[in-house]
Formats: sequence, C-alpha cells, structure tokens
Amino acid sequence: MTATTSETHAHEAQHAPPPQGWRRLTAPGWLRTLWMAPAFGALGMGIVLFFRWLGGWDPLWDMQPIVTVAGLVAFPLGYLAGIGCFDYWAYYISGGPTRPEDHSGHGARRWQDYLRVNTDHKVIGVQYLTTTIFFMLAGGLLAMLVRAELARPGMQFVDPQTYNGLFSVHASLMIFLFVIPAFAGLANYVLPLMIGAPDMAFPRLNALSFWMLPVGGVMMLVSFVVPGGAFAAGWTNYAPLADVNPFGNVFFQMGVQWAGASSIATALNFLVTIITMRAPGMTFWRMPLLVWANFSTSLLVVVATPFVAGSQFFLLFDRVVGTDFFRPDGGGYALGYQHIFWFYSHPAVYIMMLPGFGIASEVISVMARKPIFGYRLMALSLLAILFLGFSVWAHHMFVSGMADWLRIPMMITTLLIAVPTGIKVFSWLATLWEGRIHLDTPMLWALGFVSMFVIGGLSGIYLGAVPIDIHVSDTYFVVAHIHYVLLGGSLFTIMAGIYYWFPKMTGRMYNERLGKAHFWLTFVSFNATFFPMHWLGTQGMPRRVADYADRFADLNFFISVSSFVLGASFVLFLYNMVWSWRFGERAPANPWRSLTLEWQVSSPPPIFNFDEIPQVVGSPYEYGVPGARHAVLNGAARAAELEEVPPR
Amino acid sequence: MLLIGAVAFAATAAVALFIPWLPEQVSREREGIDLTFWLATWICIAIFAIVAAVIGYSFLKFRVRPDDDSDGPPIHGHTGLEIAWTAVPFALVIAIGVVSAVVLTQNDKARGGNANEVSVTARQFLWTFEHPNGVTSGTLRIPVGRSTVLTLQAKDVIHSFWVPEFGQKRDAVPGIETRLVITPKRTGTYPVICTELCGLGHSLMRSRVIVLSEQEYAAWLREGEQAGGEPADGEAIFAQAGCGGCHTFGPAGSTAQVGPSLDDLPDDPEFVRTSILDPDAQIAAGFQAGVMPSFREQLSDEQLEALVQYLLGGSQ
Repeated sequence: MTATTSETHAHEAQHAPPPQGWRRLTAPGWLRTLWMAPAFGALGMGIVLFFRWLGGWDPLWDMQPIVTVAGLVAFPLGYLAGIGCFDYWAYYISGGPTRPEDHSGHGARRWQDYLRVNTDHKVIGVQYLTTTIFFMLAGGLLAMLVRAELARPGMQFVDPQTYNGLFSVHASLMIFLFVIPAFAGLANYVLPLMIGAPDMAFPRLNALSFWMLPVGGVMMLVSFVVPGGAFAAGWTNYAPLADVNPFGNVFFQMGVQWAGASSIATALNFLVTIITMRAPGMTFWRMPLLVWANFSTSLLVVVATPFVAGSQFFLLFDRVVGTDFFRPDGGGYALGYQHIFWFYSHPAVYIMMLPGFGIASEVISVMARKPIFGYRLMALSLLAILFLGFSVWAHHMFVSGMADWLRIPMMITTLLIAVPTGIKVFSWLATLWEGRIHLDTPMLWALGFVSMFVIGGLSGIYLGAVPIDIHVSDTYFVVAHIHYVLLGGSLFTIMAGIYYWFPKMTGRMYNERLGKAHFWLTFVSFNATFFPMHWLGTQGMPRRVADYADRFADLNFFISVSSFVLGASFVLFLYNMVWSWRFGERAPANPWRSLTLEWQVSSPPPIFNFDEIPQVVGSPYEYGVPGARHAVLNGAARAAELEEVPPR
Repeated sequence: MLLIGAVAFAATAAVALFIPWLPEQVSREREGIDLTFWLATWICIAIFAIVAAVIGYSFLKFRVRPDDDSDGPPIHGHTGLEIAWTAVPFALVIAIGVVSAVVLTQNDKARGGNANEVSVTARQFLWTFEHPNGVTSGTLRIPVGRSTVLTLQAKDVIHSFWVPEFGQKRDAVPGIETRLVITPKRTGTYPVICTELCGLGHSLMRSRVIVLSEQEYAAWLREGEQAGGEPADGEAIFAQAGCGGCHTFGPAGSTAQVGPSLDDLPDDPEFVRTSILDPDAQIAAGFQAGVMPSFREQLSDEQLEALVQYLLGGSQ
C-alpha cells in the first residue's frame, strides 16, 4: 500500500480561473447569497401580498403567512441557490451545452473549501461533523440553562415561556441537528471508503443535504427572538398545545422540514451508494457492520421521516391556513397527531441508535483484536429492529386515551425489541472475551456505550410494560431513560466514532490523555446527572416542569451541579479536537491496525479515495486468522495470485 | 468473574432495596403495578450483573499493553450461545408481557360493584371534579375501599391526571372522553399532578385528592348538595377556580407568578370582571395573551361578583 497524496492524483485537472470583478456577484458563493437570499425572500413576500390583495383579504400585512412563506421557505431557498447548490441542475435543465466536469467543486485543498458547496463526501462529512458539534454545544448550553433553573424549586432565572422554550429547543437541536446528522456525517466520511467507492452515488445531492441542515437549526435557535418567544410545546409539539403556542412554533414546524429533507436525501444517497457502489467482491455478507447499520438506518429514514414532515405540515396548516386536522373544535382528532408523530418518532429512536451500533461493532472488534462475534446475527438483528421498530409507536401513547386494545399488542412488540438488542449486547461482550483489549479512547467510549445502553435498554423494559409505564409515563423516569439511550447510547458512540476516525479525517492523532480524561469525566458526571432522575420519576416528579415539590430540592441541586460538570467535560473535547487538528502528531495510515478499507488508504485519504478499485476477498473482521485479508488494493491480478497461495 | 458478577448483583440489589423507589402504595391498582415493577427489576438486576461482570472481567483480564501486537483467537461465533441469548431474553420479556397484560386488564376494571363515578374536567391550569350528585369542586374527594371511575375530558389542550400514590394515570384529551379507575386502600390527602405539558402554568397545575371513609364521603356530598354545590363566598371561589395556581394574592396565601400579581389591582370592578371573563382584553406589561382561560362558563353571575369583591377587598 502506497501512501498517496491528493497532489499526485490523476483526476487533478486544470480548474477554471476564479471569477473576477462583478462576476463574483453572480458566481456561486457567499457573495451571491448576500443578494439572492433577500431577493428570494422579497419574491416570497410579494407572492403572499399579491394573493392577499387579489383576494381582498384584510389585513394585507398578516405576519404569519408572510414570515412562513418568505422567511421560512423562500429565503432559505435563496440561500441554497446563492451558494450554488442548484447551479449544475439549473444549467442542465435549461439545456445548455455540456460542460466537462473539472472537479473544481470536489475535495478540499484549502480550509476555505470547507466553507462552500463541495461534492467530496469527505469534505461533506467534516462539514456535517463541525456543524453538528456546534449545535450540540448550543443544545448543551440550553440544557444547562434548564438545569440552572431547576437547581432550586420555584422560579429563579427565566419565566415559564422561556423555560418551556429552553427544553423544547434543547431536545429539537440535539435530535434533529446533532444525533441524527452527526451519524450521517460520520457515515458520509467513512461509508464510501469502507465499501471501496470513490464517493457517494449522488455527490451534488449530498452537498445539498448538508447545506439544508443548518437552515433547520438556525430556525430553531432564531425562534427565541420571535415575538412571543420560542416554540414551547416540547420537541414532541403535541396538538392542540402547538396551536396555542406563540408564533415561534412555526419555526419548529418548518425547521423540522429542512432537517428532515436533509435527512431523507442523505438516506437515499446512502441506500443507492451501498446497493450499487460496493467494490468488487464486497458482498452484503462482507460489508462491515457500520455499513449494515447505515443501510438499516437509511431504510428507516426514507420510510419514517416523511411522517414527521407530514405531522408538522398538518400543524402548520391548522395554524396558518385554517385547516382542522387536529383541532377538536373543527372536527379534528387530537390523538391523530400523536399517532402520525410517533410513527416517525419511534423509528427515529432507532435512526439515532443503529448507526451507533455499527460504530461500536467496528471499534470493539478492532480494539479487542477479534472477529466480531456472530457477524450474521449482528446484521440480521439490525434488520429485526428495523421491522419491529415500525410496530411499536403506540407505546408512547399508553396513557393517551387511544384505543385500549392497541396497548397489549404494542407492548409485546416493544418488549420483543429487547431480543435483537440483547443479541447485539451479548455479541459485543463475547467479542471482548479472550480478546487483546486496547483501551484507547474510542474503545473506552464504545465500552461505556455498551454499559450505559444496557441501563437505558433495561429501563426501556419498564416503560414497555404497560402497568409500569402508566405510573412513570411523563415523569423524570422517562427523562432518565431517554438520556441513557441518547446520551449514553448515541452520544457515546458518536464520540467513539469521532475519536476513532479523527486520525483518518485530519491526518493527525488526537491527544490520548485528554481523550481519556474527557471520557471519564463525561462518564461519571453523566451517571451522576441522570441516574437519580429515575428516582425522581418513580417518586412523583413530572417532566417538563419549571417548578417542583420542595422534597425534590436537594437531589435536583445535585443533578444540576453534575450536569454542569458534564457540560464542562466537553471543553476538554473541544480543546483536544481543535488543538490536535492543528498541532497533533502526524497519523499513520492505519494507527489501529484495522482491516476495513478506509484504513488501507493514506490519512487523510486521496481526493478520489482509491487510486485503483480495491478487490474485496474476505470478511472485514478476520483478526487473528493467519493470512486473512479483507481486500487487496493492487488489482484483480493480485487477488488471483493470493488465492493460489494455500493458507498457512 | 463470578465475584465481579456477585458484587454487581449485590450492589444493584442494594440500590433497588434500600432506596424507596416507589411512593407509598395507596391503591389496589398499585399492587399490580408494583408487582410488575419488581418482576422487571429483578430480571434487570440479573442481566445488568451479567453484563457488568463480563465487561469488568474483560477490563481486568484481557487488557494488553499498547505495544502488544498480537491478535485474539479468531472465534467467529457459537451457535449454542447465540440461540441461548435469543431464547432466554425472549422468554423473559414474554413473561413480563404476560404479567403486564393480566395486571393491565385488572386495573382497567372497577373492582366490585357500586363504583363511584366522578367527571373530571381539565383546563389550563386547573382541575374541576364533578362528584356523583353534581357537587363540583377543585379538590377531588373519593371514598376509600371502593373503585372510583374517573371520566376525563379537557377543554383546551391535553392534560394528564396522575396521583403517584395511586399509580394510575390517564390523559384528558379535548374532543374525546377517557377513563381511569382508582381504588384507594387508605384515607388521606394526596397530590394530583398534571403530567402532560399543557402550557405555561403546567408545573403549577396541581390539585389534591382527599380519600374519605364512606361515612365522611356521604356527609361531604350531602353538605355540598345543601350548599347548592357552588360556594358563594369569594375566598372559596378563588380556591375552587384555581386562581392561586397562577396568581400571587396575599389574602389567599398564593405566590405563583405565572400571571400578574393580584395584590395591587386597580380599584375598578369592571376591569377585574373583564379580566376574568375575557383575559386577553387587556394584558399586563410583561405577560402574554392566550395564557389564561376565560372563566365565563365556569362562574355564575353571583360567583363572579363575589370573586371580584374578594379580589378588590384584598388589594386595598
């Protein structure tokens, strides 16, 4: 394996010179966005005003439809058009003469290349990760404001509207702008490399997916300054409370559309990439489990995400257009919202979990120096979770007053999910058994994930069993459960993934000591923060309250202090990432001695990933098998030659 | 490894046993709920102990130095083990499922005949309970030892009725009627908590349930009937309508800050009346429209007058 740098790559073509003078205003980029976004916004406003004038509606200036159309639809479209997401397609549709692709929008040669529309999946992966980490920090700060208010009973710092806004925006950012897209970002970077592909199947769509994402996050954050305050009905945004929420609620409804569209487009991209672009020899049964995990996740996303989009559109129509989907006064059905919402949002839990399973499998196998235990069952259990995941949504509604008969079947399917999940946990444990365990930072996060996820999974059994759920539903027990699953599960695996692939992405090693310190600080403060919440819930503290009974005061104070430590632990993470990216020790191509394909190219990889298409000849996890190879990189001839050599 | 497992088991069992996880058990329904809770808890402790033992043992036993380049034995799987850890959890969760289904079916039904029936109306941010003979109050009163069937409805958004000591919970949903059975075992006063986020006053949407003996309950119902079921003095109306849930008002001892304080109202009965019937007509600085519900349907003319007098009396 030769280390290749981008400079020597055959695809390195002559790029067109950068535009000069006034042409800089019409060339794709931030300068064009500066005028195009307002222009689109004005156009949107004009359309609304024109039709209101035409219909003779009074008042002409109704801020609700104007802001919805001009601010939340047209303006972001103008921004996307301005930075150049649609240039190629617009040119193609208009029937202009074919322009040869000069790859000028592909790959990063300077840091500025990360700030523009780029079709390189590796650049997009890094763009995703930095953006999602930004939103994670924003969401984390909101959580700390929530905990500051909850440190003592009564109201101290914020009014109820702001408080409800804080936890609503916190959850929405963490779910839609951090966990889901952070996994998409990691997979964006490593998945094409892992299957031996030069890029994703649709690179331009991939770029569009990324640039749509921050629109959703900005909308959610901006809702704080909307008159009336941020959306304050929780991230679940139940009707009819959403209808009587301040106008900021529309910013959530539209923010979800942008983040959801981004998610769906990426999932389609992953599916096509995985199905059609695997290297020769990479059968489904030779795919690394991360690829399997993203395959399952993407299927979930494309089927389920349109439902959350629908649920929020219906809410939007109820508010702005005057429909009555969920308004009981007009014949609507309030629980209908919950059915549609959870038909997405339960699978969403697996969307936020399955990629983490994939990451954990990669890290544990490599760092225990053993093949993953029960590979096929691991892959099949992902599919089992995928199918079961669509038949359990009503377990969020056991106390809602929905049809009574639904509860027992939905309870059984819910509890059955413990079976494939258990298979995965036990298989990871068996992979550790008799391994040669290297407790590097990614491995610590992966093992921390397994143990914390077990707690979250077990408290899920309580919530799945209807009688217990009836008692603890909508209490702090649920808050504890969701954080064990999404923080102990998703965030821990995202951290495992970031540390694991950091050398590949940046070409530098992170600081191992700081990484470990970060892990232990997070691990301890995380448990101190969330474990006591189980007790608060069973004892009678409901969730989403700004004020609570005095008898819970001491424990809440302890939880708040722990949560500040948890927040502070991410300062270590940030410092480590920024410092190591700039000054870290140079990383070798394969610091973990992994067999999977992304480690067989240089760190960072060449712009088009592989100089020649790799030939896959075996399983990705054959650690300890003498002479085993996952792939050979110098062509089919070598593969044939290899097969002639009898295994030792 | 057995040692680590035993330690993990003992530690988690101690956490489960020595910390009072569940509130006092006051209803028959809680018996089934607690049974399911402890069944799940013991299964979970066992599983957690196994997982902790393997991780802990691997941590200690299989850890190698960073410069160790060797690989582990290439074990790809073990069919027997894999079948076992598919089948055993399957059996365990089915067991939990069966117990839960039985308990759920029991808890849905009123125990014995002669169930007491109370109609519950939830609105932002107060509860109204209509007892069998039409007596209405902001506090729920029910007899001990007999099932009470609550019929819940909501006027505006979704609320949820929960008494931790009873374990039972059910949402009140606008547009539909829902139902909940509780069978208290002991007399006493317990909190009623709204657990579904219902707006700005959600954390203050509290009431009480008072469990009375049959004789006391009958007496209370009679008394309420004689008084016409509707209190006429301002202080009682203030308490029943739940004003103190959101407003500070010295004479009533309330300190809530969801809405503006009523301690310094202008001496203008018309303004106070309008503010109760049509709260959005005038909004105090720093507060939002659309938070307070109108009390037009809830208060009779006499009650409204009594309440206005009470509020103005207090602000002087």
